[in-house]
Amino acid sequence: MLDRRELFHRALLAGLGASLPGEALAAGLAAAVQPQWALALGDVEADISPRPLTRLHGRVPADLAGTLYRNGPALFRRGGTAVNHWFDGDGLVRAFALRNGGATLQARFVDTAKRRVEAAAGRIVQPGFGTPIRPGAVLGSADDTNAANTHVIAAGGRLLALWEAGSPHAVDPLTLATQGPVTFRPDLKGMPFLAHPKVEASGRIWNIGLSGANAFVWRLAATGALEAGQLIRLPAASYCHDFTMTQRHLIIVLQPWLHETDEMPFASGMRWRPEQGTRVLVIDKADLTKQRVFELPALFFFHLGDGWEDKDGTIHFDGAFDDSPLFATETASALVEGRYPRTERPLLRLISLHPDGRAQLRATDTTAEFPRNPGGNAGPRPTFHVGGYRPERPFARSIGRWDWQRGRGVGHDFGAHQIVEEFVPAGRWLIGTSINLAARATELHVMEADHLDAGPVASFRADVALPHSFHGSWLPG
Amino acid sequence: MKTLFPLTAALLATMPATAATLTVNFTVTDAPTGQIMLSLYDNEAAHDRGGKPVRAAAVPVKDGKAVATFEGLAPGRYAIKSFHDIDGNGEMGTTPFGMPTEPFAFSNNAPPQGGPAPWSASSFVVDGDAATTSITIR
Repeated sequence: MLDRRELFHRALLAGLGASLPGEALAAGLAAAVQPQWALALGDVEADISPRPLTRLHGRVPADLAGTLYRNGPALFRRGGTAVNHWFDGDGLVRAFALRNGGATLQARFVDTAKRRVEAAAGRIVQPGFGTPIRPGAVLGSADDTNAANTHVIAAGGRLLALWEAGSPHAVDPLTLATQGPVTFRPDLKGMPFLAHPKVEASGRIWNIGLSGANAFVWRLAATGALEAGQLIRLPAASYCHDFTMTQRHLIIVLQPWLHETDEMPFASGMRWRPEQGTRVLVIDKADLTKQRVFELPALFFFHLGDGWEDKDGTIHFDGAFDDSPLFATETASALVEGRYPRTERPLLRLISLHPDGRAQLRATDTTAEFPRNPGGNAGPRPTFHVGGYRPERPFARSIGRWDWQRGRGVGHDFGAHQIVEEFVPAGRWLIGTSINLAARATELHVMEADHLDAGPVASFRADVALPHSFHGSWLPG
Repeated sequence: MKTLFPLTAALLATMPATAATLTVNFTVTDAPTGQIMLSLYDNEAAHDRGGKPVRAAAVPVKDGKAVATFEGLAPGRYAIKSFHDIDGNGEMGTTPFGMPTEPFAFSNNAPPQGGPAPWSASSFVVDGDAATTSITIR
């Protein structure tokens, strides 16, 4: 269905067609054919200097002051070349600061080796998740291709811009200047560090880093200093973007999308083997050699929610699951070109692992992605998630809250003109961003976690449209 | 990456009739300590497929520089694989996943491409009496 913008472009070009040189006409036609949602994979050409956001409606709650940091790929193209996958764009760290009832935005690219090599070359050359190696590439270590684009967390007074196959990059929380890749210990330089570390109530940080069927288990203090690191062997060389945990256990979900050969791009070496099913590895935090394996049908996932354990020892966790890896292997590449070849329908599902070895799967028919849980007690908590996926275009348009205890959900639909990104719990509030396709601008919304169906209590609009971000953190104060 | 530097003693070739001296100048920017360990290859098969170098050396780093000299070389093409042994333990440091933790570089400053630079990018000619080549390690 063409919208008015596309009709206008086509009419304009029809009128100008006779007088434009061939190249400009082709470029203009390409622009006209780009769908409206292509704004979500647009390029940011320079850092975004601090600027105020315009308040659209409502008021920032009096008890809410701090900064929402977010990360996501924001440069996909250089000099006529492009990355071949959504996940391979350069990371841009954004800071949305809420203070005195107002909001400001600042954003800076993470200064990575990848970005320096490609800026010097004027072209995309470094390989990635879906991008092949090209002449001019420099590939001495994993960090040479580190896009630092997936998540940003705070530890020890600084921000860490996370990726998954290499080091975190330290970033200054005030200026967003890059301090450099973090080496936790000299012999661990460049080791993989997933973009989804899990934080205990004490502030202790757990994470894993993967290489084939080998996993390195990271344990950091709340300051970000290394407490311990240990190598464990996994029963399968699965791609894991995320893992989860309870108070006592680490939980690694081993989906049947398996690393079988070393290739560039990374995804080319992976194979979908659904006949192997999904295995869930439960590891005792106090002794990583104590492991149990549970078996489930074949599922594909990027993101999992926080786990919890019942008194009888049953472990539960949810996640956003699909039936195949096609989003990773096809759709996320097509998105960079403005194509959406198949509908994505990730669904929220609960996995329960019983002490007798049984594993259960409970489904909803709620489309869901980017799940987040509020912190707090160790028991079950609501799952906040984006949703409302429809066939017409990629990405979410609504925010939802699902309670497994009650077996029901509540939410708010922002409308067809909004691309809704991850919302982050902040006390009794939820803070998140959207890309308003009609206004062609990024917006910031504050919602009450217990009353999502009332819509945002305050909304702000930036004077720029930033591409779709992945994950972020709220820092009060 | 583990076969980057076979740990062999230097091999002394019989002096050929016309012998050249190769001087290798290192600029070292990453750390002031330790030594540069290097292997000199005289053919593509040995260089690209895990064969033996014809010479090897370990030279100290001082004031951001190191120099290695090889005498009595037959004229021809050569290539160098080198690394900065920062902690001076005589070995390339590796992570638990086997990736190098100490910096390395190749002749012609040929870039690594997911492994050592190939002979086709890093080889250079040694002829006449004296040849020099430069490598930067960072």
